[in-house]
Amino acid sequence: MTLVATSLHKRFGKTIAASDISITLRTGAVHAIVGENGAGKSTTLRMLGGAIQPDSGAMSLDGVPYAPHSTFDATHRGVALVHQEITINRSLTIAENIFIGDLRRHAGALGVLKRKTLAALAQAALDRIGVKISVTANLDRLNLGELKCIEIARAISSNPKALLLDESTAYLDHREVDAVLQVMQELKSKGMTIGFVSHHLKEVLTAADDLTILKDGQFVCSTSAADIGANEIHRRMVGRDVLQGIYPPRSPPPASAAAPALRVRQAAVGRELNDISFDVRHGEVVGLAGLKGAGAEALFAGIVGDEPLRHGQLELGGKAYHPSNPRAAWQQGIAHLPGDRGSEGLIGSHSVLDNLIMARPPAFGPFFARARARSIAKDLIKLIGIRTSSPQAACQSLSGGNMQKVVLGKCLAVVPGVLLLNNPTRGVDVGAREEIYRVIRQKAAEGLAILLSSEDMPELIGLSDRLVVLRRGVAVREFASLEAVEEHDIVQHMI
Amino acid sequence: MSNAIKAHRPADATLTREGGSKGFQIDRLRRSFPAVFLAVLIVVFTMMSPRFLSLDNLSTVLEQGTVLLVTALGASFIIMAGSIDISVGAIVAVSALVAAMTSDTLGAFAIIPAVAVGALCGCFNGLLLAVGKVPSFVATLGTQVVYRGLVLYFTRGAPVEIQDEGFLAAYSNVSYGIPHTVMIGLALAIVAWAIFRFTVFGREVLAIGGGERVSILTGIAVTRVKITMFLLLGALCGMAGLLQGARTMAATSQLGLGLELDVIASVVVGGTPLTGGLGSITNTFLGVLIVTLLSNGMNMSGVDPYLQNIIKGVVLIVAVYINIDRKKIGIIK
Repeated sequence: MTLVATSLHKRFGKTIAASDISITLRTGAVHAIVGENGAGKSTTLRMLGGAIQPDSGAMSLDGVPYAPHSTFDATHRGVALVHQEITINRSLTIAENIFIGDLRRHAGALGVLKRKTLAALAQAALDRIGVKISVTANLDRLNLGELKCIEIARAISSNPKALLLDESTAYLDHREVDAVLQVMQELKSKGMTIGFVSHHLKEVLTAADDLTILKDGQFVCSTSAADIGANEIHRRMVGRDVLQGIYPPRSPPPASAAAPALRVRQAAVGRELNDISFDVRHGEVVGLAGLKGAGAEALFAGIVGDEPLRHGQLELGGKAYHPSNPRAAWQQGIAHLPGDRGSEGLIGSHSVLDNLIMARPPAFGPFFARARARSIAKDLIKLIGIRTSSPQAACQSLSGGNMQKVVLGKCLAVVPGVLLLNNPTRGVDVGAREEIYRVIRQKAAEGLAILLSSEDMPELIGLSDRLVVLRRGVAVREFASLEAVEEHDIVQHMI
Repeated sequence: MSNAIKAHRPADATLTREGGSKGFQIDRLRRSFPAVFLAVLIVVFTMMSPRFLSLDNLSTVLEQGTVLLVTALGASFIIMAGSIDISVGAIVAVSALVAAMTSDTLGAFAIIPAVAVGALCGCFNGLLLAVGKVPSFVATLGTQVVYRGLVLYFTRGAPVEIQDEGFLAAYSNVSYGIPHTVMIGLALAIVAWAIFRFTVFGREVLAIGGGERVSILTGIAVTRVKITMFLLLGALCGMAGLLQGARTMAATSQLGLGLELDVIASVVVGGTPLTGGLGSITNTFLGVLIVTLLSNGMNMSGVDPYLQNIIKGVVLIVAVYINIDRKKIGIIK
């Protein structure tokens, strides 16, 4: 099925989210929509999928006019949309999750669910997209990639002819991304029309046949993926050449006999982390590589006092350090940027200012020092380049990249000695990335000790001075320098 | 800062499906809703009963509303932090009993044991929630029964009268035409407002309501803040119990029965959502006035007493229906 959209416009209040966007999704082809945060990618995809309605413009399916007033309506016409967030309900079975929108049809007399039929249908849907998941599997044991595949199976269960995936890989790691990409190829080979939005150019270049670049809600170009390289895509997305120098130059940390800022010895935390030892000196960025579940998250939880150490020791500036809770960690100079900014990093309904000074509100005794808070917030907004209409604007009104800058600002507001960064640029566009990298480097040059965990390999290589590789909870390799290291050199130790 | 939060309208295209100037106006309307609603109530009741707006009645309203006001001030902190306390009425009863039992010997100084016992009850609630990790609704559902049970046990169901002249003079007399109860209530309202507006504690309460996990990971002493806010509510309930005892000149096991429902209604009608993270003491003050005026106004205008509860319930639901910004709350449970 060919899905054609012509000159779509969409405004949200004063914000023009999409302006004059035209796009053609071909039968049996994968079409990627790329652009920075706020470029209008999701808006476009959601207009195609009926989740939102364009203010003007026209769409057609195989030449027949198409104006879905809801996702339900779109599904009816053969266009299925998979949302960015994972919407699996863990208290239901896999089969129930797949047919959640349609359970009534599978109910027998008195509304009793026909479980066997449902399970068989669900298994067929899973087999059809080529994933090896059994409907009897326990949902709690599945990883995010597998959950995403179940969502795709759900979308496929209505027998659509076109499938739209909105940032389906944003929270997935290597293996999980591969699984989703494979499903896309499988469906493509069966003649499905596929549209997807992604931040990862590598995925786009492997998976897409066609691609459309958007910038600031405007259409930039549509092209065959074979005709364009990563550099060119980057340039058109941002409007200038950024690939050179997106990672600021390293400033070698001064060789010093002083005790390292953070020393980790044979640390074991929770079920995931069994043994890791390393130092982070002042002025240095140490990277942590590893698949999800390899232990980086657990190590962070241990260092910030969110989980106790099962074994091993921590030292801060040469002194033994036993954080009993995150409060103790912050008080001893450890700042922490968590992996999930939505649920752990910031309070969306609160203002930029409130979030920035949250970790250590300036105070005279018990009283809040409002004027000082304002000046601290103003400085941080300027330092990190947070784009907000005012310090009083609620964080949820900002773009993903700017929200992440607020979380970084919250960490820097306490003037920490050690900064822990867990995927600092997850779901962040290139422009904001650049600024976050600049600030991280600048703070390292000023003597901050930084521990960086990331699923983005180029980021780890580009930003770290040294790198520790974790595999199944054990540190297996340390790279003393990353000057000549390639991605696969590291990945081979991870898997 | 509450203004900053309320002034917000999501502008990000990916966050909201509607908006535009219309949404903005609705939002502004919503923010001023409690005040508008209060004004409408006053106009309607004034038309129905000329005596409604008299100084005499105004004084009565304030006196009737003081116990509700004092307890709702404390409950505001709890609700803004996303918790709830339904043992309010029971703590009021316990404190009134303590005040009655000690007023013979301590006179006006019975305030000390009354408030202390209230604070103790509140502190216990806070410990159950913050340390025992029992959800506040369940914890206070249990302690409510225990606290009221304590009153029944010690009184054996019989009222304990308060006769001490000094006590009654301090807490139920009138000076300069204003009942002492009202003076105390307004003074406490100003203190609570200042605590909320000017202290770090007030901000931490809102932060916990806005995102507890975020607050913990950012190093806020969540346990301490929670215990403190329950202790604060307990102390205010202690004060309310004392004032109520002084008004009725006795402590009974039925004192403050069902008060918690009026308290929660006041806070919510004032515009503070039960999910926490938003709100202010000013909101609560308006909510208390609305709830109190509604009862008083219906009495004054001679509405059938057997009909009043129905009207009251409907009005409260309508008020909250219009008042709540569903976009910000996300999921209504």
